[in-house]
Amino acid sequence: MANYYDIDDILAEEELVSVVFQKGANGVGIDPSAEAYSVEPGSKVKLPFWLAYELHARQVVTMKLPACFNQQTRLELGADGKAVDLRSRCLYFYEFGCKIAPLVGDRDMGSFLLSAFRNRYQEVLAKAHSAAYTAASKLLTLLTKEEINLYEAAQSSMAAFKKWRMGGPRLQRASVLGRKRKSTD
Amino acid sequence: MYGKKASELVKEIASSEKGQLTPFSSDLFDEVIEECKQHYHELECLIRRMEDQGLNVETAKNEDHYGALIHHLSLVRNKRCLMAYLYNRAEILRTLMWKVGSVIPEEIKEKLSYSEKEYITKHSSSLKKYMSSVELDLEVDMVPPKDPYIKVRVLDDLGGDILLSDDKKANFTRHSMHFLKRTDAEQLISQGKMEELKD
Repeated sequence: MANYYDIDDILAEEELVSVVFQKGANGVGIDPSAEAYSVEPGSKVKLPFWLAYELHARQVVTMKLPACFNQQTRLELGADGKAVDLRSRCLYFYEFGCKIAPLVGDRDMGSFLLSAFRNRYQEVLAKAHSAAYTAASKLLTLLTKEEINLYEAAQSSMAAFKKWRMGGPRLQRASVLGRKRKSTD
Repeated sequence: MYGKKASELVKEIASSEKGQLTPFSSDLFDEVIEECKQHYHELECLIRRMEDQGLNVETAKNEDHYGALIHHLSLVRNKRCLMAYLYNRAEILRTLMWKVGSVIPEEIKEKLSYSEKEYITKHSSSLKKYMSSVELDLEVDMVPPKDPYIKVRVLDDLGGDILLSDDKKANFTRHSMHFLKRTDAEQLISQGKMEELKD
């Protein structure tokens, strides 16, 4: 299990999954279409992954493959992985995919995620080193969280390398204080 | 949906710039705690109903059991979100204290909750205690300097009251330049009151 305090891990588990309840549950308000304050067996509900996962483990629900991993996305990623907007489909595409793969019994999921990541990785790194800011901002709207982290890591390593080569001041204002300098007038 | 508010709290950390603090959202925080109380209450009701029906709470798997389970899971989830929120903020604060020392600037202090302020005070006092027990100042720069002296320019009017380590006082008016001992200047630079000059 990932770090308990990991922000990205927590948010990846917030992604919604459609499930079908196999058993009923009383006294809960998670089914917006239900009239009573309960869930009937057989009702279809969208639940966040953290809840769906635990209920699935106890055979209360069955899970469906989320839309962001459907056949169409796979075809698009297979055709030109670099141009696919994964950000709007699922911000935590890879993490979520890894979590859900063993639960939906999809054997191709692992290799599919890997090939998608491999195709896009090259583009991310190439752009991070070369692209000007305006060109990069278009790319950034397509990337998932993981890819953004990679992109920023690549850029900061480049910046650190440049700084090392030019030789800048070692001591600097703490970054947590923000970038803007407070006006003292 | 259950756990929605808690996830908003976590999103706040995720969407703020890395290593930067946002004001403590005590309203949202309290709402999540309120939600937890509600979950707990409903959980108790369901368990009590099972007991009233004469069922064994540990083995019976009826609809009340699954309802209670969902409330239990939501509680655990909310707890994780709340903990993560506090933990990640505390981590930013600790990094800040290594950089600027125990005196937290006003504009950061406004963003903190009461317990976070208390945390800073206690953390820095135990750090000081540790440093005096090992007789080592751990707050100085990690990389050994080439020159123990450093040229700085003052960015903020500091007045003449700052005592340097050789028991002398210097008049740090704005834009004045000084040649100081590195150890004296380090904290003032990370606080943004001076900048290092390269020759």
